[in-house]
Amino acid sequence: MSQHLPNIHYLDPEVLQRLDDLELVAREAVEGLRSGNHRSPLRGFSTEFAHHRQYAPGDAIRDLDWRLYGRTDRYYTKLYEAETNFDCCLLVDSSRSMTYASDQLSKLEYAKFLAASLAYMVLKQRDSIGLSVFDSKVRAYFPPRSSMNILLELDRLLRSTDPKPKTNIAQQLDETTLLLNRRSVVILISDLFADPDDVLRGLRHLRFAGHNVVVFHTLDPYEISFPFKGAWHFEGLEEEEPLITQPERIRQDYLDSFNNYLETIRSGCVGSGIDYSIVDTSRPLDAVLGEFINERKAAFFGASTGTRS
Amino acid sequence: MSFMHPLLLLASLGVALPIIAHLINRHRVEHTDWAAMQFLNRSVRVRSRQLRLRDILLLILRCLAILCLAFAIARPFTDKTDGSWLPGENRAGVVIAVDASYSMAHGNGGASRFDRAMEQVGVISDHIQPGDPVSLVLLGSEHRVILRNVAFNQQSFAEAMKPLTATPESLDIDSVPKQLQGLVEDMDALQKEIFILTDAQAQNWEKISTQLRDSLKGLGEQASVFMVPVTGGDENLAVTGLDLVSGELLRGSVARYRATIKNYGSNPTSSVDVKCRIDGVQIDRKTIPVIAPSASETVSLFVPFYNAGSKRITAEIEGDSLSTDNVRRVVAVVRDKVSVLCLDGSSGDAGRLIRAALMARADGSEDENYVVRTVRWPSFPSREMDQADVVILTDVPEITKEQAEQLKRLVRRGSGLVWFAGDQIKIDTWNKLSGSGPDSLLPAVLGLPIDTSDSLGVGKPLDPSMPDHAVCLPLQSLPEDLLSETRLLKRLAVEPANSSFSLLNLAGSHSPVLLEHSLGRGHVFMFTTSAQASWNNMALTPVFPMLLQQIVTYLAGREFEQPRIVGDPLSLTYVDQPDATDAVFDTPSDQTITVPVREHRSQYAALLEKSREAGFYIARVSVQAPGLPIAVNVDTRESDVTCLSEAELEESLNGTGITVSGTEADLASNIEAARTGKSSWRYFIILGLGFLIVESLLADRILRRSRSTPAKAGPTSQPVEVA
Repeated sequence: MSQHLPNIHYLDPEVLQRLDDLELVAREAVEGLRSGNHRSPLRGFSTEFAHHRQYAPGDAIRDLDWRLYGRTDRYYTKLYEAETNFDCCLLVDSSRSMTYASDQLSKLEYAKFLAASLAYMVLKQRDSIGLSVFDSKVRAYFPPRSSMNILLELDRLLRSTDPKPKTNIAQQLDETTLLLNRRSVVILISDLFADPDDVLRGLRHLRFAGHNVVVFHTLDPYEISFPFKGAWHFEGLEEEEPLITQPERIRQDYLDSFNNYLETIRSGCVGSGIDYSIVDTSRPLDAVLGEFINERKAAFFGASTGTRS
Repeated sequence: MSFMHPLLLLASLGVALPIIAHLINRHRVEHTDWAAMQFLNRSVRVRSRQLRLRDILLLILRCLAILCLAFAIARPFTDKTDGSWLPGENRAGVVIAVDASYSMAHGNGGASRFDRAMEQVGVISDHIQPGDPVSLVLLGSEHRVILRNVAFNQQSFAEAMKPLTATPESLDIDSVPKQLQGLVEDMDALQKEIFILTDAQAQNWEKISTQLRDSLKGLGEQASVFMVPVTGGDENLAVTGLDLVSGELLRGSVARYRATIKNYGSNPTSSVDVKCRIDGVQIDRKTIPVIAPSASETVSLFVPFYNAGSKRITAEIEGDSLSTDNVRRVVAVVRDKVSVLCLDGSSGDAGRLIRAALMARADGSEDENYVVRTVRWPSFPSREMDQADVVILTDVPEITKEQAEQLKRLVRRGSGLVWFAGDQIKIDTWNKLSGSGPDSLLPAVLGLPIDTSDSLGVGKPLDPSMPDHAVCLPLQSLPEDLLSETRLLKRLAVEPANSSFSLLNLAGSHSPVLLEHSLGRGHVFMFTTSAQASWNNMALTPVFPMLLQQIVTYLAGREFEQPRIVGDPLSLTYVDQPDATDAVFDTPSDQTITVPVREHRSQYAALLEKSREAGFYIARVSVQAPGLPIAVNVDTRESDVTCLSEAELEESLNGTGITVSGTEADLASNIEAARTGKSSWRYFIILGLGFLIVESLLADRILRRSRSTPAKAGPTSQPVEVA
């Protein structure tokens, strides 16, 4: 299928080919307008039996369970689970901190590739995809749609993104919560370099609104390992005060502080039921996505099997 | 400032290493954008100028450390007379040479010269810094290095000095400069000093040879040389000789020994008792009424031999300031019987004359233990010959090859051979059978007869060329006219072998009349004249019996009867290949020295290279074998203990650059004055290590501070100044 796509900058055919077999599923029930692959909280008429309910006047005669009537002499109506599609909203952080690149590919560029690939996967399974690009405010937004043509629009939007120095993730998450009127899958792609409490507060807001929240914590390998030696002048990307220092001397402090921060974010996400994944921009995109989706699928089907039985 | 090892200054090129390392690793501040600024510890801030300053400071410290260490190993020194500002220590390498010849044992009732020399060594050691190189050598006929170039330690130095005593050796002064030069050259020191502690014997130091003077001068160019005289009185008596003058070493006979006592002092000495002991038992005593200054007196000591065997005979005096030379020792190997076989090939009565000369006694009696048998040539009694102590061949025309071999074997075993020329001698045959070289039977190659008579028909008299030889000793007691009555009319021209020497010559020429050489353990005497009256009138004079009897006594003796001098080698020769591989020598101080037996030209011998003690050594062919005593005496050239005064010594050493320090105060002040060099290497070592420590602390300081700094930096944290 991927080879029939128009020339889209942020979609790599090779990556897409490897992602063809993968399927992004909503972790929990989502509300959709059409029948689809995902569980819906609404009961409807489908092939998936849910449970019986005593007949009430007005119920369709065809839903009566005649076999149960034969055994019990009572009228019961069969209820089925409805399956629907989901809306997925990609939140891409385009602040200046995302422009850091120890190698050729910055975190922002990586995030764009990641967003495009996720959009492709969502559209491929006939779900809807929306996009919000933000820094200190929302710079671009389009609501979820399920047409493949949206990929071109998404690509154009990502290309035109101009990073701005400041970011305010918590506020953007709050605003996104207000924008989404259906329970959706919300995927946040960001380095989350902000106050971790604010970030977690925004994420919980989304979560409490009933959305499936996925966080791709996008980090450069240098930010993870801090391998600098000698004397370095660190210029803040978001208008912080610059610092000339000897990284060897502060490396341990940095790593301690950074790992504490990561642990705070991770434990906060896990505690709130948010899927959290650290994305090392030195790793291949398909490997990152494949690993994430497989883990997610394994967790999802394990839980649903228990529920259905 | 100068350097002892200037080439080692090349090590200072090592300063390039930290510079190169600095250039390679110098801190260039690199620039990067950074997103995760919130995690950077802002308490550790540096400025690029601070970094440069710190690096330059570290670089300077490293360079200084390397330079200081390079300087230190090059051993810098300065002369304090230059007024150098550089700190330093007055250090020197010291060679201490103590005269340990036996004259140093001389003492006038108080401490000996050697003891006083040791006290002076103590004064010198007080001026040596711990760790300075020190050598200590005892001077003698063979110099003994006690300490060679060791780091000075007062305690161990004192321990090394404690067992030292004077030796019975004489001082070989000519080899002293070479020995000291070797020790000085071994020494690695800024300034070198040599201290020679000696009694400054006049015989050694008064008229030093040009060669010795040059050697001492050369020594003075390498080191500061100090002569420390430890002088004393000149009174000394010494037994300078103990010689067998007459008599046979036969059981039951009495031999006359002559002891010579010399007064080396400047005052006459009266009533000198001379005691003669045999195997420790006093058997004779003579008193010399007075011995004039620098004069020698002799006494005859009569030694009776009651038993056969080796006898240890000593002549001793007592009550002397120097006891080492108060004893003279000889060994006599007393036989049960002396057998002489005379083979007479003359047409006349040579055999009879020889027998008459050998059997001549003052009282005309015959001695049953002294057998002389005459056999006419051509009979050759091989069996009797093997049992004879001395074989005399007179005018024997020729012998067979087997007979020549038998005679050689006989002599090698220890018997004696006396050969007389004569009219019947077949010169070519004898030359052919005798052989040549050191293994030849006769001590010379025979030539044609020569007429030695003058125009008046009177022959030439005899002239002892070695008057102190045991054979010639009795001739000294003859009146001059009696000796000159002996006239030689005819002799054989001979070409002496290198191993032979002449005892008697024709007067006025070097034409030998009596030659001797040794073969194995025995000796061969060769008369180039005949025993008959046709060639000389020797048989008609007292010279002939005296010579023949003395020769027989000499030949019947054994090799160990010849006394040795301390320092001489002691050898034990074997007739046949011995069973034991080692010989054993017991020293007078009851030490046992094992010496391997070596073969040389089909002869087996064990050689003890040096005899170091005076007294009787015992030589054994194996541990269980009976011992053969060997007398070892001191060299009496050392007995003249007359010393030079300080002024005389200075005058004698004038021009050699040697400083004479007579007193302890002089010695101390001379040492202080001579030590002008200051060694600074320790200071450079300390300085270099100091720089390294500071550099290490400085380099480590930042790391330690960063570890102690809290992980998170507050917004108000201040930059840290980095030195």
